[in-house]
Amino acid sequence: MNETSRSPISAAFATFLEGGMSINVAARDARNLPSIARALGCRFSLDRRRLTVFLSRAQAAAVLADVRANGAVAVVFVEPSTHKSWQFKGGDAREEPLARGDAGRIRSYVETFVRDVTPLGHPPDLIRLLFAGPRETPPPDDWAAVTFTPAAVFTQTPGQAAGKPLRDVL
Amino acid sequence: MSLRITALRECLDGAVPAFVATCAPDGTPNITAISQVQYVDGEHVALSYQFFNKTRRNLLANPVLRLMVVHPRTAAQYRLTLRYLRTETEGPLFEAMKAKLAGIASHEGMAGVFKLQGSDLCRILDIERVAGETVPYQPLVHALPALRTALARLAAAQDLESLLGRALESLEREFAVHHAMILMLDARGDRLYTLASRGYEASGIGSEIALGDGVIGVCAAAGTPIRIGHLTSDAAYGRTVRAEAERAGLGGLLDTRIPLPGLPASASQMALPIQARGRLLGVLFVESPLDLRFSYDDEDALAILAGQVGLALQDLEGSPEAEDPPPAEHPGPPARNGERPLVVRHFAEDDSIFLDGDYLIKGVAGSIFWAMVRDHVDHQRTAFSNRELRLDPRIRLPDLSDNLEARLVLLGRRLVERGACVRMEKTGRGRFQLRIGRALELVEVPATLRES
Repeated sequence: MNETSRSPISAAFATFLEGGMSINVAARDARNLPSIARALGCRFSLDRRRLTVFLSRAQAAAVLADVRANGAVAVVFVEPSTHKSWQFKGGDAREEPLARGDAGRIRSYVETFVRDVTPLGHPPDLIRLLFAGPRETPPPDDWAAVTFTPAAVFTQTPGQAAGKPLRDVL
Repeated sequence: MSLRITALRECLDGAVPAFVATCAPDGTPNITAISQVQYVDGEHVALSYQFFNKTRRNLLANPVLRLMVVHPRTAAQYRLTLRYLRTETEGPLFEAMKAKLAGIASHEGMAGVFKLQGSDLCRILDIERVAGETVPYQPLVHALPALRTALARLAAAQDLESLLGRALESLEREFAVHHAMILMLDARGDRLYTLASRGYEASGIGSEIALGDGVIGVCAAAGTPIRIGHLTSDAAYGRTVRAEAERAGLGGLLDTRIPLPGLPASASQMALPIQARGRLLGVLFVESPLDLRFSYDDEDALAILAGQVGLALQDLEGSPEAEDPPPAEHPGPPARNGERPLVVRHFAEDDSIFLDGDYLIKGVAGSIFWAMVRDHVDHQRTAFSNRELRLDPRIRLPDLSDNLEARLVLLGRRLVERGACVRMEKTGRGRFQLRIGRALELVEVPATLRES
């Protein structure tokens, strides 16, 4: 593997992003109308060159339809306590079946997120509801996975460095 | 569109961050957290523009965006489809967002990083409720019945003193607002002075703040309500930004001898203009140690309350000065043998008054006091009427529109607060008398001698 094709994401950074981040996903339709949904956690592939985000089918129907149609995706991570933020973009996104362990990942993500935002003044039960999805389609049937190769990663923490490609600021 | 933004305004307050998705003309989507979404009216919201980033480039090229917001008390999530219309860089919307952003920036440790470049005005094309469970929410105050009771109480006010008392009492009783003040615009138009307050250790009656300074000053200067849900003590928009006043050349003119009242750990603040017929008369200010204490509904209710206070003020000013027949003069008690007289010093330069060396008041209220004690010493008068004071050439009212009654209320309250042996006592409509407990010795200090 040569220098340029190596993932810019270190193992430690990947683990950090798989923790209690606020994760939101955007896609777009054929008319370039954006769609948006909250993610239920994520996982990086072992070589960290592929990123999978978890979505609720009921909450993210438009994002899933757009991803199926054209594969363009953007994912933003925000660390709630610091407002530090990173955005990943890719053009090859597709929906995949949940892998073994993904349901556990989602449940543990929600609890980590709840634990991290509770000190910021958000009631735990209220935050859990954000990820609960509708009662009619209980998990794991409601859960979907979207995987893509991040072609660009940007830091978005507010300030002068916002919008810079990650390798320029790390 | 079955959902109305007016019913969802609390989602925009930033308690749970909002996210905005845009798309570049080449089909690359972009998503980012957004600091601030401002309710404008039933069909519009505005987004804060702080940096020329990808979101901004995208919305200029492809003006349809999607916004994701969360109701902080019910957990209901909504997706808004917006069309970007234009960017405003001045005016009430911009000023309200700028003040709020400064509060947010300070809360997030981003002061100096967040600076509002513009307000991106957007039309709401659609609001979609995201599937999911919610919890019911009961607001702390039901604004409409609270407002009805408050307005009825205001309508019964006979004079300025009772109007102020009733307004502050209504805030406490109907709206559970425990810390509030009412400031009046000085007719010179460059500052506000505190006329009434409730819920503070020191009342701060007579304290001043420059126009454009802090939440109160910005509200007055822009003529728009300012509401901040997170405020830390080092906020750039904290109340006593004296540095600003110094730079504006007002430092020496502002009355800094009376500190502005305030909560030591204020977290939520709201300032509302008191206006009548398009003219700014003053500011109603409320605050709380709780984060996000004041909602959009509170802002609506208190804006109406402030508007009603404005109309009542104008009504009191404009009605022909009702006047009861003069009561008999009651000369004060003669100085007891051996009792030292109270030394009243008047500094002509700014009409400031000192009682035995203690600062009392300055400006118009100071010149009123000086004229009255002069008449008392020279002619043994104790009874006065509003009408004669208004016409008295010794009292330099800065403007015909200046609220003389407000100055009299201010003076009367300062005398009580200082525990002075001179008091003003109402004796009828438009009339009052001085009660003077000691002999007075008047000392005039001409302007040129101020330095010594």
